[in-house]
Amino acid sequence: METTGADILIHTLEEEGVDVIFGYPGANSLPIHDSLIKSPIRHYLVRHEQAAAHAADGYARATGKVGVCLATSGPGATNLVTGIATAYMDSTPLIVLTGQVTTGLLGSDAFQETDIIGITMPITKHSYLISDPCDIASTVKEAFYIARSGRPGPVLIDLPRDVMAASCEYSDAKEVPSRVKPRSEGKKDAEQLKKIAAYLNRAERPVLLIGGGVKLAQACDGLSELIEKGRIPFVSTMMGIGSVCASNGFNLGFIGTHGNELANRIVHDSDFILTIGARFSDRSTSIVEEFAPLATIAQIDIDSSSIGKVVKTDISLVGDIREALAKLTPLVEEKERREWLGRIEREKKAQGQDTSRDECGPAGVFIKDVQAAMPEETTVVTDVGLNQIWTVRSWETKTPRGMITPGGLGTMGFGLPAAIGVQMGVPDHTVVVFSGDGGFFMNIQELATVSCYRIPIKIVVFNNGHLGMIRQIQDLFYGARFCDIDLGGKVDLVAVARGFGIEADRVAVGDAAAGIEKMAAAKGPFLLEVMVDPDNYVYPIIPPGRSNIDMMGGRQG
Amino acid sequence: MGIQERILEILVNNKPGVLARVAGVFGRLGYNIESLCVAETISPEISRITSITNADSDFIEKVKKQLSRLVDVIEVTELLPGQSAQREMILIGISLDQKNRQEVLQTVGMFDCKIISMRNNYCIIQVAGSREDVGTVISFLGPLGVDKIARTGVLALQQAKE
Repeated sequence: METTGADILIHTLEEEGVDVIFGYPGANSLPIHDSLIKSPIRHYLVRHEQAAAHAADGYARATGKVGVCLATSGPGATNLVTGIATAYMDSTPLIVLTGQVTTGLLGSDAFQETDIIGITMPITKHSYLISDPCDIASTVKEAFYIARSGRPGPVLIDLPRDVMAASCEYSDAKEVPSRVKPRSEGKKDAEQLKKIAAYLNRAERPVLLIGGGVKLAQACDGLSELIEKGRIPFVSTMMGIGSVCASNGFNLGFIGTHGNELANRIVHDSDFILTIGARFSDRSTSIVEEFAPLATIAQIDIDSSSIGKVVKTDISLVGDIREALAKLTPLVEEKERREWLGRIEREKKAQGQDTSRDECGPAGVFIKDVQAAMPEETTVVTDVGLNQIWTVRSWETKTPRGMITPGGLGTMGFGLPAAIGVQMGVPDHTVVVFSGDGGFFMNIQELATVSCYRIPIKIVVFNNGHLGMIRQIQDLFYGARFCDIDLGGKVDLVAVARGFGIEADRVAVGDAAAGIEKMAAAKGPFLLEVMVDPDNYVYPIIPPGRSNIDMMGGRQG
Repeated sequence: MGIQERILEILVNNKPGVLARVAGVFGRLGYNIESLCVAETISPEISRITSITNADSDFIEKVKKQLSRLVDVIEVTELLPGQSAQREMILIGISLDQKNRQEVLQTVGMFDCKIISMRNNYCIIQVAGSREDVGTVISFLGPLGVDKIARTGVLALQQAKE
């Protein structure tokens, strides 16, 4: 059957189970859009390509499927870069399709030409430039395999316009070529597991450190089993939150710069830490030399380059987390751990009484009220900054995909477009996105997308008139020499939202009940602007250059 | 181990862009590639890259792992001192005049080099051999007025075990 390259592309996407693409057309991607018309795949038009990438990312994080975004060549492709880097840092499986100038014009500085493969090389797991329509089917299949296998990540496929328009005799793609190599199991793994089990059984003060890799491996149930059987307290990195329900009795919270004191202290005092699917980013370890000084450290991860990269690992296992946990748990003994757990209980109680050191202030209370007003099946999305830390600390995340936050790259402007992707991925969930005014402006144009498709997300914008997190850092560590953080306070976000055709309201953070109720009852998209005092910071915080136990508490303004 | 010369042998799929990705791993870690040889192996779909960089053992472990996770990298091996046979070829361009002619030609004879081109008294000398021998030739000819040197970089293959 004679078909065009674009037809083959779309057909292969359908075979890979794609039902949604976020994109923005341009001259060099038109053949693709032309084929997309005939397809059951739904294309959502965003208002900036960065939003297409974030939406695909949010979709993937909410569903576990591979997200797909589409842009044209040149500026369309370069607008994707921040979104691709965000997905790369958090290991989200993404397929990035970019139009490209015709093959004859490559390298000639043609109109709307950029070397997007060159530009994105460090932030993609792999990339392809297709020069023959007959290569499309197998390349796309391989790209999906790479995106979702091992440590997931974004894969870019550059598609010159003439290749998309050319004809090719179509035949179903063969099996994925063997050059994409799966890892082989070894006898060494069994030995490592025995060692890890031995430590867990003998350690007096063991802790599990959970990272984003557990969710990616779909190993959350296995993790719960290990925790319950061994009665092992656990902490998370920001990306690990939700792997186990937040209310689990062994949960100590999350560690690092903005983590809670209990978690950081317990890690510091532990004698054995089993790290699962976490890469010891500087946000979680702070000063590496002072991280967990008393502990033997074991690490299980699918990516060998994460082992021993930051923290010296004493025992390591490179492999699939789900398989590893399935083999580990039977070797772990049921232990009471009365002393260790008893001590932890006492510290938890003591901390609960000392609210001055562990606070998100009125914003934290507000977030809890929002959660109480929302149904059980609610997915929360954050932007970056104070809003992110308030949400991550105050929202009780019950499911692995219940909270979506750009931890690795810390991309402001992620929240709103990602929430669009999330809602498309889980249409029967309520989706709430928390942003600050700073991050909200970065992709504010997506209010048009929300309005156009009547995407019923609940948009909360904390407005403190400033770049809040930066303000806190300048206040505490730069001698209160505030500069370049004042957003001006002249923009009426409620009027803006209504101008975009979205229902909206404004409340003060301490008097928000009516606004929350209205937002909860809204059938369509709703924006709630929440006025917050610029002195409402987040505590505790680790000063730059200090270790995880040097947390700084403070008063809330 | 401290900072010293490290030889990495990297087998890759012979495809466009692979070399750029490999070089990118070194560059991103802030390290310089001192020497680089790359060509097809006996299988045309597979290329062998032989690279030299000066670094400590921590860095080499990092770079090996980050190279290994690239889709088109098949295998990464560090060739430890004494484990590999190493050779280099250089071409030296040098103008001959009354002052240097005799010494240049003597050196060529002494070290078994070949003059592969001679035009208008500008000769191009081919030197191939161990890295030490090549280095010695350069130190002999250098003071005699070398105009240009083109080097292949170090080629290495792992020797069989005893």
